[in-house]
Amino acid sequence: MKSSMKKLFFKTQYEPDEHGHFGEFGGQYVPELLIPALEELTQAYEQAKADPSFVATVHEVFKNYVGRPSPLYFAERLTKQLGGAKIFLKNEGLNHTGAHKINHCVGQALLAQRLGKTRLIAETGAGQHGVATATVAAKFGLHCTVHMGAVDVQRQAPNVFWMQQLGAEVRVVHDGSQTLKDAVTSALQDWMTDPIGSYYLLGSALGPHPYPVMVRDFQSIIGIEVAEQFQAYEGQGSVPDYLVACVGGGSNAIGLFNAFLDDKQVKLIGVEAGGRNPNQVGEHATRLGRQPQVGVIEGYKSFFLQDDDGNLQPTHSVSAGLDYPGIGPEHAYLYQQGRAQYVAVTDVQAVQAFRALANTEGIVPALESAHAVAYAIQLAPTLPPKKTIVVNISGRGDKDYFILRELIH
Amino acid sequence: MSRTISEQLTIIKQQHRLGVMTHVVMGYPSLHETKQRVLAMAAAGVDSIELQIPFSDPLADGPAITKANQQALAAGVTVQQCLQLAEQLTRAVDIPLQCIGYYNTIHHFGVQQFVQASQAAGIQGFTIPDMPLTEEPYEHFYALAAQANLPVIQLISPATPIERLRLINQHAQAMVYCVSRFGVTGAHTTLPDHLITYLRTVRQYVTLPLAVGFGISTPKHIRALHGLADVAVIGSALLNVSLENLTQQLTNLCAER
Ligand SMILES: Cc1ncc(COP(=O)(O)O)c(C=O)c1O
Repeated sequence: MKSSMKKLFFKTQYEPDEHGHFGEFGGQYVPELLIPALEELTQAYEQAKADPSFVATVHEVFKNYVGRPSPLYFAERLTKQLGGAKIFLKNEGLNHTGAHKINHCVGQALLAQRLGKTRLIAETGAGQHGVATATVAAKFGLHCTVHMGAVDVQRQAPNVFWMQQLGAEVRVVHDGSQTLKDAVTSALQDWMTDPIGSYYLLGSALGPHPYPVMVRDFQSIIGIEVAEQFQAYEGQGSVPDYLVACVGGGSNAIGLFNAFLDDKQVKLIGVEAGGRNPNQVGEHATRLGRQPQVGVIEGYKSFFLQDDDGNLQPTHSVSAGLDYPGIGPEHAYLYQQGRAQYVAVTDVQAVQAFRALANTEGIVPALESAHAVAYAIQLAPTLPPKKTIVVNISGRGDKDYFILRELIH
Repeated sequence: MSRTISEQLTIIKQQHRLGVMTHVVMGYPSLHETKQRVLAMAAAGVDSIELQIPFSDPLADGPAITKANQQALAAGVTVQQCLQLAEQLTRAVDIPLQCIGYYNTIHHFGVQQFVQASQAAGIQGFTIPDMPLTEEPYEHFYALAAQANLPVIQLISPATPIERLRLINQHAQAMVYCVSRFGVTGAHTTLPDHLITYLRTVRQYVTLPLAVGFGISTPKHIRALHGLADVAVIGSALLNVSLENLTQQLTNLCAER
């Protein structure tokens, strides 16, 4: 295919300022101890991006190790069954390790290597990012410590075992709600004890600058590929009408959206976890639901689910990867600017969508991705057949078999 | 009415000794006991006390203080209650009491409102680890505090490069808080090896008095800080000392200053 393809590192009209502020969101709200480490990282990242050999290595590893490009697949039976817009699936579940997380892990591990770091630190919720980090640590010969909340260790046991087989140390976090947010804090603290020897490999498009930008850039390969693959189906110059992706911290969604941000005819929809009840505190993770509240937590400014005193509120989602009270700062900005729209899907709807996709297409999505599928299932029948929807299947569902077996019985 | 931080630092200097600053988490184990602990600390002769407002995700705190934060919140302690307690305490003691906490507490309260409420409560300054100087152009927290004559204490760490020490020196007020080691709060048995060189370097670039904290727990540690720093900060080490033993422990610590 001739390469009219966008380059991996490109700018849109939604870039942050030099200190990582997307409008009022983002920034570097961290203890002084981490400022030099973040400055070192920002500089190294800027240099790496401009270095053709770094960029070439990223592409080489994407192709030969990750297995990119991941397919864009026309879900014909699902489309027929719903009787509306055409549904396409970007299948990141076919990547090595089974999710989009490997994209930013490859990029960041190469950066860690460039910086001469010997240990990778990561947090994980669903365990997908932990597995992907443990994988690149093995590949690049680095030590690896993965922080994971005790609740998530229980519900994503297969991934814990997998990480250990890859040689990573899994550190179980018993603070707070014992989920992803506590794993992030614990990982940041681990980094604070060793900011010189370790690289903190953050797993979503959030945290202090430069992580939101850097994670987004490495994930942007998703949208770049979609732009090209879509034209093979729908003709040169065509673009999808809708992009739909689930939003935990926001990495897979921004990875899909970024290449299309400046093309306003493409509608962008992020799907949050509605949990058991999107209107009740502690029962969901819809940060952009009713009256989103700005806060400054875990090193960045964004919308957070918080109580009257600014403390983080508990969250719930059947999918560990969406069970988080904050959202990446660029999503906060896209929401505020009206460029992207955010909706919620409940646990039950996600589980139904999981089964619908398995039954009609033989594709088993991760529970996180099933949220995006569930919204597409609602949206498609409301649109005429000439419209198109691209859904990001951010990961495959193998890790969720045990949870589903329990839910279904 | 309590003294300002600078007034207390002048007294310390005149007495040719080290200052001792202690710490409590408000509402841990209860608001009532916090009050008694602060009064006991003041009576034992400490030079200032950090009153920490509990927060759900205390990024710079180790396991002991994190747990205290979470227990206080679980017991329902609110920011308003903390401010009320602070007001009672600043009336009762003459040493400066400072507010320590995380920026979201302030941001959520409203920066201006929080500064005003703190001033009204007699608070003498702020230490907010996750509100670094570089975010000030976006937040105006330092500026609003300065308008109320309340210093925001800058933190520096062994990783802080020299250009940043210079920047901090330009903006710092009252004193500078040197984090002694890489990591989070928590008691340690020994002081880090690099401490002497680190504090000497800081001294070269920072003119204000230096407080040193993170891991200071024994009279021996305090003795070691003479000539290197102006104030020793004792936090986690006192957190779980019972109220009955607190005075004795503090007397032992203060004897070395
Ligand atoms: C498969 C999958 N999708 C989505 C997510 C959510 O993260 P993000 O919003 O950063 O893509 C996760 C997180 O663990 C995941 O494993």
